[in-house]
Amino acid sequence: MRRCTRILLSWACLLALTTSLQAQDQKKEKSASEQQKKPAAAKPAEKPAADSKVKTRDLVINLYNPCGVAVQPDTGHVYISGSGYQRILRFTPPKENQMPTIAEVINGFPKDVYGKGPKYEIGPLGLVFVSKNLLAVGGGGNPDGKEVLWFFDVSQIKDQPIDTKAAKHVAGPIPKSEKTNRGEGNFYALAYDGKAIYITTNGDDTKGWIARCPINNGTPGKLELFIATKPQVETTDAPVGITLSPDGKLVVGQAGEINVPEDSLLCFYNIQTGKLELKLETPLYDIVALAYHPKSKTLYALDFAWMAPDKGGLFRLDVTTGQQPSLKVTKVLSLDKPTAMAFAPDGTLYITLIGTAKEGDKYKPGKLIEVTGLE
Amino acid sequence: MRKVWALGMCLVMGMQVGLWADEPYKLQIPPGLPPLKVPQDNPLTAKKVELGRQLYFDPRLSRDNTISCASCHDPTKGWSNGERFATGVRGQVGGRSAPTIINAAYNRFQFWDGRAGSLEEQALGPIQNPIEMDMTLEEVVAKLNKIEGYRRQFREVFGTDVTADGIAKAIAAFERTILSGGAPYDRYKAGDKNALSPAAVRGMKLFFGKANCAACHSGPNFTDNGFHNLGVGWNNKDPDLGRYLVTKQEGDKGAFKTPTLREIARTAPYMHDGSHKTLEDVVRFYNKGGNPNPYLDEEIFPLDLTDQEIQDLVTFLKEGLSSPNYPMVKPPQLPK
Repeated sequence: MRRCTRILLSWACLLALTTSLQAQDQKKEKSASEQQKKPAAAKPAEKPAADSKVKTRDLVINLYNPCGVAVQPDTGHVYISGSGYQRILRFTPPKENQMPTIAEVINGFPKDVYGKGPKYEIGPLGLVFVSKNLLAVGGGGNPDGKEVLWFFDVSQIKDQPIDTKAAKHVAGPIPKSEKTNRGEGNFYALAYDGKAIYITTNGDDTKGWIARCPINNGTPGKLELFIATKPQVETTDAPVGITLSPDGKLVVGQAGEINVPEDSLLCFYNIQTGKLELKLETPLYDIVALAYHPKSKTLYALDFAWMAPDKGGLFRLDVTTGQQPSLKVTKVLSLDKPTAMAFAPDGTLYITLIGTAKEGDKYKPGKLIEVTGLE
Repeated sequence: MRKVWALGMCLVMGMQVGLWADEPYKLQIPPGLPPLKVPQDNPLTAKKVELGRQLYFDPRLSRDNTISCASCHDPTKGWSNGERFATGVRGQVGGRSAPTIINAAYNRFQFWDGRAGSLEEQALGPIQNPIEMDMTLEEVVAKLNKIEGYRRQFREVFGTDVTADGIAKAIAAFERTILSGGAPYDRYKAGDKNALSPAAVRGMKLFFGKANCAACHSGPNFTDNGFHNLGVGWNNKDPDLGRYLVTKQEGDKGAFKTPTLREIARTAPYMHDGSHKTLEDVVRFYNKGGNPNPYLDEEIFPLDLTDQEIQDLVTFLKEGLSSPNYPMVKPPQLPK
């Protein structure tokens, strides 16, 4: 009986979510009206090994290039950068006697196209909460040198989505200067340590900058360049994935070249001085997200694997420090172009995927999935 | 009895891994270069490197005995050929320039389009290319097996007669020894502030700053091992699509491998099609933002360098990256 209830809940969840998203997409795409109204047959995320405790579940389907995810403290609501449609979505996980919901909450972000083929339409990227209700959104739709970091008070969002003009604060941009040839843009991922937000940026590839935005009493200060990663590691730039280690280091995945395999670096920087303390080569293609499990403190990475998406997925990274630091990399899940992840306090992991569109598909291939059972 | 068995096993193992009394090659890594990763199945040994040197310089690897590896990758010409394109048997001319093999040991990919993932894989390519050496592997193996000097050395190094695998491994082993480092730039970086002239220092700062060179020419070997579209040759009727021909990824159209810049003063002409005769030409090409096309790399944009800055940058490239210990190798006496 219990199993039966769970299956129904899962089906009902998909039905509700799909219908909701269809309604939203009609605002964006004329072709959406041609879509059938019955729920999509959501394909499950790739299953882990049968003996694994790790379980996955599709929570939201029909997403267009989702590129960021954050879990709101207290409520557990999951915010998603619906980057392809330049908006932020809010997913309310199911609770007892409550259906899950998905809603567009912020829109009107600028749009850009990333890549030369494949190309991805992008808007907002990295997300992080800096307080109970203040959501920081890394921009990706403006040109380099004009990109900004938005802050929204999500408690002010009622029935209708708000526009970027309703942002409570805006930090940046970081224009062209002696330190950055083009100015910085594409604020991929954000990490917050209670004092400042650290942002991986894309602009000057001779430096590979991480930016920093101090937060004082809930108010952002000036967004500034902080760590030039490339001069310290010499070889690989493109800092993308970022998180904070339990002992306060800034942990950065430097993705390297999208057309070079297995060139991602895992780097640990001193959060006070910005100095590189540890650099580890990895067999991963393009690390785009890093996160520590809130209970076990195990480090996980997402590999987008631009040139070989079948190699991408969720990986466990076991770092051994000391005289001879080492890294053990274990694949946990194969995932189709994963972009971002965030843990809930109970250890549930939320991951956004861009996915791969197939001819004849009625829905966009992007998803939000839930991963449980991680150690 | 047990000792005899053990001895027999040692001999068998020795044959399998090619340890026939061959000593490890003492590779000296020049200052400024990182430790070299050598494939486990092709360790550097003295006799193997010497065998590779002979094969590298031997024109008998080509159909008409006119073209050797060194014909297009000549140590006296920066391990390139000084021409716009590579020339093969019967005077046939290819469509791309001959990339230097200096520090190719550090390359993630070989060839301009990266179609080979190792030196071993690369080594057999030109032999089989109808425009270059125009042989089949069967033909070249049979041809070399008729040369007693080669048969003897292959037995010593690999425990077999001449094989295609052995040819590839020996040539690759030799190429791994062609390293350039210890340039004035390396000495300057190590603390010798007199190692570079004032103009070269200014050029170095431009290289790692305003001129944006280090966006791609990064690390100890001055390459990111990636592929980039600069728009070179894009005005041609049928532009060379480069990396795209290997990956079929749209974004790789017109992209070519980032070459090392070490010993760049010796390897003119430049670019994958040898279309720029001098380093000044190259820098001016970058300064205008390359050649516009739908796949132009995002790191290519107008630089606004002044004439003085262009001269300083060229000075750094010529002076700073030329080693006083250039890896010059003389052709060996070939086996008969």
